[in-house]
Amino acid sequence: MNNEPTKFIDENGLRVDGRRTDEIRPMKVDIGVLSRADGSCYLEWGNNKIISAVYGPRELHPRRMQRPDAAVIRYKYNMASFSVEDRQRPGPSRRSSEISKVSSEAFEPVVMTQFYPNTVIDVFSEVLEADAGTRTAAINAATLALIDAGIPLKSLVSACAVGKVDGQLVLDLNKKEDNEGEADLPVAITQDGEITLIQMDGHLTEDEIKQAMELVKNGCQQIQQIQREALLKKFGQYEEADTEIQSVPLTKKSSKQETESVDTESSELISGNILSDESSENREEQETDTLDILEDETEQSEDNEDDSDEEDFFVEIVRNNTEGESDDQ
Amino acid sequence: MTLESEELEELEDYESNFVMPGDFVGTTEEYIPGEGTYMYHGNIHSLVAGDVVVDDNSRSVSVIPNTKTPPSIKEGDIVIGGITDVRDSVAIVGLEAIKDEGEREFQESRPAAIHVSNVKDAYVKKLSDEFAPFDIVKGKIKSAKNLSLSTSEDSLGVMKAYCTNCRNAMEKDNNKLKCPNCGKTEKRKISSDYGTGII
Repeated sequence: MNNEPTKFIDENGLRVDGRRTDEIRPMKVDIGVLSRADGSCYLEWGNNKIISAVYGPRELHPRRMQRPDAAVIRYKYNMASFSVEDRQRPGPSRRSSEISKVSSEAFEPVVMTQFYPNTVIDVFSEVLEADAGTRTAAINAATLALIDAGIPLKSLVSACAVGKVDGQLVLDLNKKEDNEGEADLPVAITQDGEITLIQMDGHLTEDEIKQAMELVKNGCQQIQQIQREALLKKFGQYEEADTEIQSVPLTKKSSKQETESVDTESSELISGNILSDESSENREEQETDTLDILEDETEQSEDNEDDSDEEDFFVEIVRNNTEGESDDQ
Repeated sequence: MTLESEELEELEDYESNFVMPGDFVGTTEEYIPGEGTYMYHGNIHSLVAGDVVVDDNSRSVSVIPNTKTPPSIKEGDIVIGGITDVRDSVAIVGLEAIKDEGEREFQESRPAAIHVSNVKDAYVKKLSDEFAPFDIVKGKIKSAKNLSLSTSEDSLGVMKAYCTNCRNAMEKDNNKLKCPNCGKTEKRKISSDYGTGII
């Protein structure tokens, strides 16, 4: 080891990677990246690269592990052999089994397992590149993958780590801070601020833990915001297109030709969703096509019609949806 | 953190209509919690990412998911399964797939049943004249609770059958099935889509 102590925070209060002490690393999220998984999410957080996949609810084997009143959440955290500088021996290890256990427990209070008795919800989080804080990154990705799979959750789960370097508390440790710092405290919380995971490596005093919790709650809120933005981008826009297709022929007097073109697009869109052979790229193309057409239409309607039509149009959506719902029941 | 309490009837802005798991959608004084919601301390929150829908008649608020959802068996669904047993009054079906739900696994491990009274409109003398073990059948869910099926429609019934003598796939021959290998003819409740694979 180095004889001279490393300095983690410079005179300007900036850390080795130029962040302030209460700043998280930049995060990039992509939902629905795997075509064969029921729900999936790819997440980059600093240099961490995680892919998370959800399968199920599906039948659980062996049968003796089934719970007659609820689904079992089976979470698997795994580090790829190439995820760290020195090749990791593939397969389960003490560390990955432990992380899998605590992470599955981080989701148990929020997943509505009672809806799916005798089944299992499989969550696989694969670490492709590790740079400290992979368990928290994996939880963030898994939350989005669960939502993508349509599994009912009471709340989002956001996870972030806090640690101590140079005697100072810092949010979201990077690799150097994690390896050489004095403490590491990963935390996962729900929207209500309920803690579903907490672990600690190293030593913190009581006061420091209190301060650290404040810091990490702030970090988790930032992450939750990123998760919400990702969800809005993925599912907010998409359904807008879908509902508009439903209501276009009903409320807006568009020319027949246009209606037809929209209809064919929408049927293609639906079939594209059903056929698993269809690559996700194709699907996206079709979606954007539909959006383009719809945008054109809305522009036209804005020119011709006033706001009262807009209201009718939303009432129509509600009516459509409620009809569909009553059919279900 | 959570979305502000918005006047849900005024669906002016689209984004206010879209909610994510945990978001507040209303209070129990205003609404009955419907599909895709849960109740917590008198407040109704969303369980899924989707759009809020208020039913004015029942005063219930539900969230229609925009995501894929785990498939579930509902009344009226068309299902595909294999006959596992034929008894005096009931044929047992192991369900394999739901129509239009894609390949995603569904969480139903119980077997379904076709009662003699639901096989076809005409009188059924012997159930073994309608189904045999290993037949692949298409049926409609009559009750999702006790998983009873009906095949009393032209398009419903046996989609593919195997000869009870030599296990070869049978071919449709007028209203009966004929084995191309041993020439045996058998009776079944044949679907109009027999042998086509069209569900």
